[in-house]
Amino acid sequence: MPVLELREITKIFPGVVANDRVSLELERGEIVALLGENGAGKSTLMNVVYGLMSSDGGQILVNGEMVKIKSPRQAIDLGIGMVHQHFMLVEPLTVTENIILGREPGRLGVIDFATARQKVQEISARYGLKVDPDAKIMDLSVGMQQRVEILKALYQGASVLILDEPTAVLTPQEVKELFRVVRSLVDEGLSVVFITHKLEEVMSVSDRIVVMRDGKVVGETKPSETDDVGLARMMVGRDVVLSVEKGPSTCGAQVLEVTDLEVRDDRGLEAVRGVSFTVCGGEVVALAGVSGNGQSELVEAIVGLRRPSSGSLQLKGLDITHASARASIEAGVSHIPEDRHRRGLVLEFDLAENLILGDHRLPPFASHGIMHPSAIAGVAERRIEDYDVRTPSWHVLASNLSGGNQQKVVVAREIGRNPELLVAAQPTRGLDVGSIEFVHKQILAERENGKAVLLVSLELEEVLSLADRILVIFEGRIVQEFTVDEVDEETLGYYMTGGGGSKLDGEAEHVEMTEGDS
Amino acid sequence: MLGDIITPDLFASALRMATPLALAAIGGTICERSGVVNIALEGMMLVGAFFGTVITLATGNAWLGIIAAVVSGVAVSAIHAFASINLRSDQVVSGTAINILALGVTGFMMERLYGHPGTTDPTGTLGPVFKFAMSDDGFFGTIWNWINGIFLSHTPIVYMAIIIAIVAQWAMFRTRWGLHLRALGEHPRAVDTVGVSVIRGRWIAVLMSGGLAGLAGANLTLEQVGSFTENMTNGRGFIALAANIFGHWTPVGSYLASLLFGFADALQIKLQIFRGEINIPPQFFLMLPYVLTVVVLAGVIGRAVGPAAVGKPYEKE
Repeated sequence: MPVLELREITKIFPGVVANDRVSLELERGEIVALLGENGAGKSTLMNVVYGLMSSDGGQILVNGEMVKIKSPRQAIDLGIGMVHQHFMLVEPLTVTENIILGREPGRLGVIDFATARQKVQEISARYGLKVDPDAKIMDLSVGMQQRVEILKALYQGASVLILDEPTAVLTPQEVKELFRVVRSLVDEGLSVVFITHKLEEVMSVSDRIVVMRDGKVVGETKPSETDDVGLARMMVGRDVVLSVEKGPSTCGAQVLEVTDLEVRDDRGLEAVRGVSFTVCGGEVVALAGVSGNGQSELVEAIVGLRRPSSGSLQLKGLDITHASARASIEAGVSHIPEDRHRRGLVLEFDLAENLILGDHRLPPFASHGIMHPSAIAGVAERRIEDYDVRTPSWHVLASNLSGGNQQKVVVAREIGRNPELLVAAQPTRGLDVGSIEFVHKQILAERENGKAVLLVSLELEEVLSLADRILVIFEGRIVQEFTVDEVDEETLGYYMTGGGGSKLDGEAEHVEMTEGDS
Repeated sequence: MLGDIITPDLFASALRMATPLALAAIGGTICERSGVVNIALEGMMLVGAFFGTVITLATGNAWLGIIAAVVSGVAVSAIHAFASINLRSDQVVSGTAINILALGVTGFMMERLYGHPGTTDPTGTLGPVFKFAMSDDGFFGTIWNWINGIFLSHTPIVYMAIIIAIVAQWAMFRTRWGLHLRALGEHPRAVDTVGVSVIRGRWIAVLMSGGLAGLAGANLTLEQVGSFTENMTNGRGFIALAANIFGHWTPVGSYLASLLFGFADALQIKLQIFRGEINIPPQFFLMLPYVLTVVVLAGVIGRAVGPAAVGKPYEKE
């Protein structure tokens, strides 16, 4: 008897059928991967199971019994736990406080923290999930935070664990560790639903693969019976080019020169600690690193959003060290920001406005401070066409597009400006394979056109497939440089997590550094 | 002259002045910790002050007046809770509306009830809880007189405020209610997904802030002034908000911050007595507590970070 069985679950949003009679079975001790592009309905399905959304039809059976799940509380009581893509952790609270939230041990409303801590330690020892019960969430790495989420579900008594895109934020090492944890959970008799759109993960971790597309289950298979290409075809519905083809790099004139750059973060701490490198035309240089090692600050300094505390930035011989964002655009720097909602788009503006943002002051879009709607519309239409933005028209608000299409709008604007240097920060974050393929093609097209590209990515696969040269950044320093053909994921992961040691400095400063970070 | 200014009375007065600020500030702390901004503390305090006086005048019992003040504060806060939690309207707008409403309603009702604007008849004030004799026994007598003067000369709500600060601090960090409250203002969805009601938690917090602001109003009329005057809160609700921030969103912190503002207030009153000798316009002293507020809010004395989700209405998916 399956521990969890979904029968013909249907969920309708205004205008979209998110789940169309989806059925799924999960056996005890089994890992099922739910594979599909963004918008295929995977998360919706699991939100229905977890009681976050109500279904418009279908049945849920837990251990053979029909149940109605109207709230997460009910799901938890039925032994269903979920680790969300965006963690449900309260940052300033401790690990213990987060884990016991909603089910606190104690009497008369007074929490028995000693018992709570002890329980947390018990579970953490039993499943090999080491964590400091008194640490605050905000001081933990993302991988650790995820571990806390899993512990929370286990504490709540989960026998079915739903993991929603669990690897999106992890380093390769953390992914490995997660897979180990997932297997040990299954050995203890739990069942796991693993939501993802990454093919290689599905192949390595799951017992069974269920593929969804456009709200329907389009196939079911086992890792032993398929391969990447077959899965991708099932998922997207057409053949997908997984590996990007690119010719040898033709390094032209030097475009960007970064010298001894130091940048401070919002808290005034040194985030970039003396970084020097160059990018030449016709070359993609990738900055590989674990999130939070100074990449964001470095990018912000280059595109004029943050003032470096020392060092210099040169763009084709022009000093842009202290250039404002506007001056930086005018000098020929384009920026695909890591957070498209916060910096890439104005969600409440329509596509035409979003497609010319940054150039809106200049002819042909405006003259003497007055906008020219027809010129704007013309360019917008052309860019929507060229960059394959799926939308009925440019009148649509940016907020109404899917993530992939939103990103295409950002890419269309930034590349459409014809820059000298393209700074692409996590350009495919959260995108599905189809959109990733498209964005990758655009980035490589820039390279073919002899432009310089600086890519910042947490996805090593992306780094390895796009870059000509790879700089590994760790704690604000570039600790290693590789050409793409002399390195693999393992090695990069090793250096990204400080494996190379910070040989550049004395011991004393290293100690002080780690203290400052904790 | 310094000896005339720094007397037990100055510090006692600081404690007294701090009390309404502290009560409202603790209310603000609880409310904001739940994720709801409450700039309506001023209005809630004013309504509490008014109804406390009305009921005391009608029944002759100040304790019934205090209860009326708390209940009316809770009632006004229900408007804020409904608007900002259920209707998900902008919390600053709702709060501002309540402040204006409170001013209007109390003024209007004064006319209807007493037939004149301005100030009500005196209710008299509640007396101190303890009445210990002064001592003239040399050095130890002086110490006793200071302790007696500063700490043992107060009215009931002054002591209530201290107890409330300590109990609220304990509850916020040791009880289930407190844990839920702290989580609510940071990440309401996390609270929701473990099956704890965000709506209920926020309602309770807003109502508590209303009750505390009402009690602050009662302290103002029934213990300090002895009558109600239109707009007598005079910005104290906003100073309380500043105290909450300065106190880093903790009850005891709020109390201590209020003590600082209370001291500034007590000092300015004292200095006015000596204005002939100091030769500075009295308006300058009156300004002190407000200047202090601006300085604190400008982050001069350490920057504070509030709950992450404060001011954001919660919507289920």
